[in-house]
Amino acid sequence: MTVLALASVLDIRAAEPLQTSLMALRGQAVTLDASQVERLGGLCLQVLVSAQRTWAADGQSLTLAPDSAAFSEQWTAFGAAPLAEALGEPA
Amino acid sequence: MDAFEAIKATFFQECDELLADLEAKLLVLESGQTDSETINAVFRAVHSVKGGAGAFGLEALVRFAHVFETLLDELRAGRKPCDEITVRTLLRASDVLADHVAAAQGHAPEVDEARSAGLVAELETLTHGEGGAPVVEEEDDFGFTPLTIGLPSLDLPSLDLPSLDLPSLAAAPATGWRIVFRPHGRMYANANETGLLLRELGRLGPVTVSLDDSAVPSLEELIAEENELVWTIELAAAVDEVAVRDVFDFVESDCDLSIQPLGAGPADDLPALPDLGLPSLEAPAEAFDLSALLAAAQEPAIVKAVAPAPVEPTPVAAPAPAPVQAQAAPAQAAPTAPTAPAPATIRVDLDRVDRLINVVGELVIQQAMLAQRVAESGLTRSSGVLMGLEDLELLTREIQDSVMAIRAQPVKSVFQRMPRLVREVADMTGKRVRLVTAGEDTEVDKTVVERLAEPITHMLRNAIDHGLETPDERLAAGKAAEGAVRLAALHRSGRIVIEISDDGKGINRERVRGIAVSRGLIAEDAVLTDEEVDNLIFLPGFSTAETITDVSGRGVGMDVVKRSIQALGGRISISSVPGKGSTFTLSLPLTLAVLDGMVVGAAEQTLVAPLSNIVESLTPRAQDIHYVGGRDAVIRFREAFVPLVDVAQTMGFRDEPVTPGQGVALVVETESGQRAALMVDAIQGQRQVVIKSLETNYQQVPGVAAATILGDGRVALILDVDAIVANARRRPAAPELKLAS
Repeated sequence: MTVLALASVLDIRAAEPLQTSLMALRGQAVTLDASQVERLGGLCLQVLVSAQRTWAADGQSLTLAPDSAAFSEQWTAFGAAPLAEALGEPA
Repeated sequence: MDAFEAIKATFFQECDELLADLEAKLLVLESGQTDSETINAVFRAVHSVKGGAGAFGLEALVRFAHVFETLLDELRAGRKPCDEITVRTLLRASDVLADHVAAAQGHAPEVDEARSAGLVAELETLTHGEGGAPVVEEEDDFGFTPLTIGLPSLDLPSLDLPSLDLPSLAAAPATGWRIVFRPHGRMYANANETGLLLRELGRLGPVTVSLDDSAVPSLEELIAEENELVWTIELAAAVDEVAVRDVFDFVESDCDLSIQPLGAGPADDLPALPDLGLPSLEAPAEAFDLSALLAAAQEPAIVKAVAPAPVEPTPVAAPAPAPVQAQAAPAQAAPTAPTAPAPATIRVDLDRVDRLINVVGELVIQQAMLAQRVAESGLTRSSGVLMGLEDLELLTREIQDSVMAIRAQPVKSVFQRMPRLVREVADMTGKRVRLVTAGEDTEVDKTVVERLAEPITHMLRNAIDHGLETPDERLAAGKAAEGAVRLAALHRSGRIVIEISDDGKGINRERVRGIAVSRGLIAEDAVLTDEEVDNLIFLPGFSTAETITDVSGRGVGMDVVKRSIQALGGRISISSVPGKGSTFTLSLPLTLAVLDGMVVGAAEQTLVAPLSNIVESLTPRAQDIHYVGGRDAVIRFREAFVPLVDVAQTMGFRDEPVTPGQGVALVVETESGQRAALMVDAIQGQRQVVIKSLETNYQQVPGVAAATILGDGRVALILDVDAIVANARRRPAAPELKLAS
């Protein structure tokens, strides 16, 4: 399984690099390492939502481990679906 | 300056405006008009300062602003009365807030901690009552560190309260808001962030955030910098719509936004939910305004002047939810506050304006030179060239006036700083003072405005410290205990006049004279008029304060004030009535850039007399000229005699005066109203000249205000009429002004 470490600041500047990194891992099971994330912005949230949708469509797993408190709190504050559902193993 | 510093500089610029607005609004409150709109405006000003400060990590400023804002929040909610004591405290708090801003900016030393802490305590007492425990929000984090919002506690099943059937609430004011928010990619590009806006909303009350991500495409179709997410936020708090809208103040043109009151639905019951255990949502919201400010700093002109852009078509996106688009326009166009629309403005670097003014100045000179060349070429007056030139002259003049108008600013910016000064000086001297201002909207060139602050400050200090009596003395003299100081600005004959008057004891002429004698400034037996005695206080080294006080005895005397005014081409005069008070009058040119002048010739020299001084010109006959004591020439003018001053002689261009019966007399009036006739050889014409400072390029010359370049390329001196007249009066036989030998 490939692990993709997320940058600590996921703001507008991180959105396109994050999308590119994820695209490069397309077609394989990926684990996102969010342990270093301090700030999650709206555009990176969108990339991750899109990735989750894409991975689900591909039938691949996109999981999150380990997490950081900041990441999960901000994720939830955005009103996004709980992480376990959003980024868990595809059914 | 890097981008961050530039944004910070803009923030401080905005702070200046916000603080000025804050004080102005507080003064409105002080006058007894405690309407909610004014209180809201005060709150917004402090809130905006705090928000920006948080963004830049200016913690001391944020902490103070926070306490300040908390009390204001109580006032605007009507939970605390906006009484006289409160308003006074607010005024002092605004002073300390300004100190914090100045310190943060590096323009001032550290803030007086004791004073700041004392005011914090006062504000908290007013907020929470005597002995009330101030809510110290230790969790407040004003930096950009990540949220630590305990969202598990945000589990708000109680928000779904269908069982709370409260139909009677239908007629009540909105007790909550449903906000549908779809940012454009541009909003993020402008350094704004949805997360911060959500946190800011959370500060207003409990929120339920839901995200509609249905429009987000697959990763390969996604454009990372465009946004397809739509947030719906239900805010369960009975706050003003303005407060909600304020959150989006800086991003409104970069998003689709709909703010609707929560209907008679279940959420209506939510104002009673402070116990819902949601304090964690009131976590550091300070960063929000920061981002908004950043956006404003980056594109202020666009933010202010451009109408909200339509929703941008995005190639990959499914359409955004219909209600958002449908409601966006009305939402943006419907501010609730009944404020007049602000005129569109842009910020322009002063350098650019100055460059424009310089170039226009050159244009005026070139135009004059061209006109002179054409005149010398012998073309007839009716020729097309001359007529075209006349049109060009009108146009040039119009351009120049318009450019000058760009630089014109109301003196309000200076006047607004004075109430604070008066409060402080009154506190230090134990006097009671009421400051009355008039004519704040009088406009004058920006350079003049900036350089007015110091002399006005000094003279106000003097007026309170030396002019006004203590309350006891005033009562004993049959006056009101509270002294009045009046600061007024007005336009008078092409100049701006600033008057500073007090109703104090007036100048003690005996004492002034005694001091002048003891310091060797005048001879013991000198015979001086009242006016001359009053003017002794402008002599260097004169100070009437027997002990140097903290207030005005700072080693800066009225002579420095006078010099700084003179350096601006202005004059200062004084009138005083014992027991009634004194009035200082400053008269300054409206601009330091151009002048309407009469071009005259005197002993082969070309000179310019400011038109504003000239009353009349005439050709005196030899018999009109009389000599007093066989020496001092006077001329009969409208049933009176006025002194005749030969300009060329006074300036040292020649030794003998112009032959009686030849030459032209310009009857001039000085600032103090004295009249004199300036004798010159001939009048060449009247024109607008561009002022070139002699001081900057050479040095100050007595009798000469400045210089200009004429149409033929020669330099002409601009006369300082007052100095020439004063000099001729004082020493008619021994001219002090000698420019040539």
